[in-house]
Amino acid sequence: MSIIEGRNTARGTVAAWVYLLPALIIISVFVFYPLIMAFRMSMYESYNFYKNVGTGFGFASFKRVLCDSDFHIAVKNTLFLSFVAMPVSIIISLVIALLISSIKKFQALFQTFFFLPYVTSVIAVGIVFRWLFHSNYGLINYFLGLFHIHPVAWLNNPKTTIYALAIYYIWGNLAFNTIILLVGVQNIPKMYYNAARVDGAKWGKIIFRITLPQLSPTIIFLTIVGFIASFKVYNEVYALFGDLGGAANSAYTIVFYIYRTFYGAGRMHIAAAAAVILFVAILCITIIQMLVSKKFVHYK
Amino acid sequence: MEIRLENIQKKFSSVVAVHDMNIRIKDGSLTGLLGPSGCGKSTTLFMIAGLYAPTAGNIFFGDEAVTLLPPEKRGIGLVFQNYALYPHMTVLKNILFPLENMKIPKKEALKMAEEMADIVQIRDLLDRKPSQLSGGQQQRVAIARALVKKARVLLLDEPLSNLDARLRLETREEIRRIQKETGITTIYVTHDQEEAMSITDDIVLMDKGWIQQQDSPQQMYLNPGNQFTAEFLGNPPVNIIDGKITDSVLVVCGEKLCGFDGVEDQPVVVGIRPEAVLIGNGDIKASVRLIEIVGKDKIISLDLKGCLIRAIVSLDYDCNVEELLSFSVKHSGVFLFDKTTGARIKGFAS
Amino acid sequence: MEVVEDIKDKSPRHRGAKIIIYAVLVFGSFWMLLPFVWMILTSLKSLQEAISVPPVWFPSKPLWSNYQKALSVAPFGRYFLNTVIVSSVNTVLTIIVTILAAFSFARLKFVGKNLLFTLILASMMVPGEMLIIQNYVTVAKLGWIDSYAALIVPWIASPFYIFLLRQYFMQIPDQLYYAARVDGCRDFKYLWKVMVPNAKNTIVTIGILNFVASWNAFLWPLLVTNKERMRVLTIGLTEFTNEAGSDVHLQMAAATFIILPMIIVYIILRPYIIEGVSRSGIKG
Repeated sequence: MSIIEGRNTARGTVAAWVYLLPALIIISVFVFYPLIMAFRMSMYESYNFYKNVGTGFGFASFKRVLCDSDFHIAVKNTLFLSFVAMPVSIIISLVIALLISSIKKFQALFQTFFFLPYVTSVIAVGIVFRWLFHSNYGLINYFLGLFHIHPVAWLNNPKTTIYALAIYYIWGNLAFNTIILLVGVQNIPKMYYNAARVDGAKWGKIIFRITLPQLSPTIIFLTIVGFIASFKVYNEVYALFGDLGGAANSAYTIVFYIYRTFYGAGRMHIAAAAAVILFVAILCITIIQMLVSKKFVHYK
Repeated sequence: MEIRLENIQKKFSSVVAVHDMNIRIKDGSLTGLLGPSGCGKSTTLFMIAGLYAPTAGNIFFGDEAVTLLPPEKRGIGLVFQNYALYPHMTVLKNILFPLENMKIPKKEALKMAEEMADIVQIRDLLDRKPSQLSGGQQQRVAIARALVKKARVLLLDEPLSNLDARLRLETREEIRRIQKETGITTIYVTHDQEEAMSITDDIVLMDKGWIQQQDSPQQMYLNPGNQFTAEFLGNPPVNIIDGKITDSVLVVCGEKLCGFDGVEDQPVVVGIRPEAVLIGNGDIKASVRLIEIVGKDKIISLDLKGCLIRAIVSLDYDCNVEELLSFSVKHSGVFLFDKTTGARIKGFAS
Repeated sequence: MEVVEDIKDKSPRHRGAKIIIYAVLVFGSFWMLLPFVWMILTSLKSLQEAISVPPVWFPSKPLWSNYQKALSVAPFGRYFLNTVIVSSVNTVLTIIVTILAAFSFARLKFVGKNLLFTLILASMMVPGEMLIIQNYVTVAKLGWIDSYAALIVPWIASPFYIFLLRQYFMQIPDQLYYAARVDGCRDFKYLWKVMVPNAKNTIVTIGILNFVASWNAFLWPLLVTNKERMRVLTIGLTEFTNEAGSDVHLQMAAATFIILPMIIVYIILRPYIIEGVSRSGIKG
């Protein structure tokens, strides 16, 4: 198996491929193949997955998806999560990270508390949230009652389901965002703070002129990751609203829509079309964000 | 602005970094804080800057006690070892930053920044980011940022350590020029004795948290107060040999070197500056063990009955290994130190 | 200067700020911990206590029997066993596959390496949700529905973990490899004797994160298991919730049963997990 550096030998190649084989087989069968098939499936008007044949080649499935009112709800909800819930989560995390990094005592303890949701099951905690959100017995409505706010039918009113979903989503994402931002803050060289103090910068100024600019790559990273993650929300919906996706499908997200269409309704080609749309959307967002961040973010 | 440190002590948990320190830094002088790494010189600087609080003692700027004053209220400028230029701001923004914090109107601040940029000669670099500058240029920006707020005191923490040898020479002259031009009281931390010797008016030499000596570079070199000072200054370093005084004569390795009046008979540590070994002039005989060429000098290691003594001669001096040479020593370049304390023992030429 | 003791601002304003900071953090922690605390408290209440208005915080007498009841209504023992088996086997296989692939990319030279690596990197961009449709079909055709294979095999090769470990392997200096070769150490031995021990921390991180992810997985197990005896905890819990309807205290007992092991793992391995997540930026 000897390999001479800088040269690809036949034996070396064979050896290397042997190491790669397990990964390669799995990734080919469960990533590349289904990816291609998803594109293919989405191009048929009807599809028999057991025979892998479809009829009516064209964009009909895409049209069906784009005209489906459930898909509209799903897109609206998903965008709400990406453009409202995700930024809110990052801002809260930023505040928490700055606060935690500014104290000395109990730092590790608070870090432990805020990171806990990262390891716990979205589904299981979702069951708990379902209970917290309960219209009659839920703790959240009880707290609201203390401030004389009328109980909200969080999970049953089609108008409020998205807020329940967003709250749970924000809560669940704080852990990851906070920990990454905390590390980001701690990685800023101490000398900049010393310099800023000598330069007479006040607390607020240090945060806005030193900390935040230095954190900007981390924040952009979280935004990209968070954007993509918010496009894939599914478990939260299932945990809070069960199999059907909330009153009048009001809590649908794009992935939940995909799941319902193919598992609930067995329309593979439609689901595949929705998946392709999701894929393209994620791809575009990622590319745009990368271009934007190159322009505005300070990298060391 | 005169600076005084009175009985300053600094402990980090249980480690004492600076012991009972008393120094006075003259107004308008360029003073070097010199010492090997870990000697407490940076700690001292950071206490003067207000980034560290002394565990005990007081610091005065003129008559004002500033011991516990936060750094921004001390009117100091500090240049960090790595410059600590804010990487996301342009050079101009970096220089403007302290002024911005002092709420100086934009127009005036801009004028001050530009003036400062002229002094350190970086006028054409104002729109660049620090990452686009060379080490020397970053250094100038750091100095400009430190001085722009009309600092009363300029503090420099190992300012040349990140530069290459050539740039180091150039930059230290530059620092000297800027200091002279602005007349600002400056404290300069360095571990490089040559650097300190070449540009400072005054040196505070430290070791293991204790002050060893404070003097002008010349005085410190010519008249070291203890063995550490003698050893730390000078390149090639001073020769350190065991010897003894018998009947007012210094004896090293059984050979009489020179007379020392006023010193009792005792064993001593002898320090001999290499340039105080005068070859071809005298009647002490030693053989040449090693010849090294260092720049424009030649260093000859002489074997005096088992004791090695380095002497410095000019490059064109001709000799060979094993050759027997005669020499004498210049009394002013020979120092005696106490064997246990390392303190200087003074005597007179006879 | 590593040890820094700033001049402390002892003004009342500063002290006030400190108090506010702690107050905000305590307030935040309250909301972070509330679901867990409430879950455990409710799991020990009687149904009357659980649904009383205004809420009762503490059960008058902790009813440990709720756990017995919950466990007897649905075969949670079986779910638990399934979850442990799936998560453990999955993690072991993932680590092996990842190490082999990462080694190949990091250390060996071969035809097609760049193309292959690019493809693997690109596949990180593909949302997994897009793949489940065909994967479900594939698994069904293989006859794997309701089998451990279906729960495990599709997940043992993660492009992201391969990338992560390869990056780490790349940092191990070439000289070590040459030295080993000169000493007559073959590739395979070099991998296990030098690279793997060197990359221990990264591998442990990958293991922990993979285990947690596998333990909490939901959508895929939901698709490929129908029979009760093949269910994992997350599926079992949701099924139970749908069936047990109003028995909130029992639901909370069941939820505790699946969350608690992860909390314990978290408390024990906290430094590894936090370091691993922050270093690799793995989104849960």
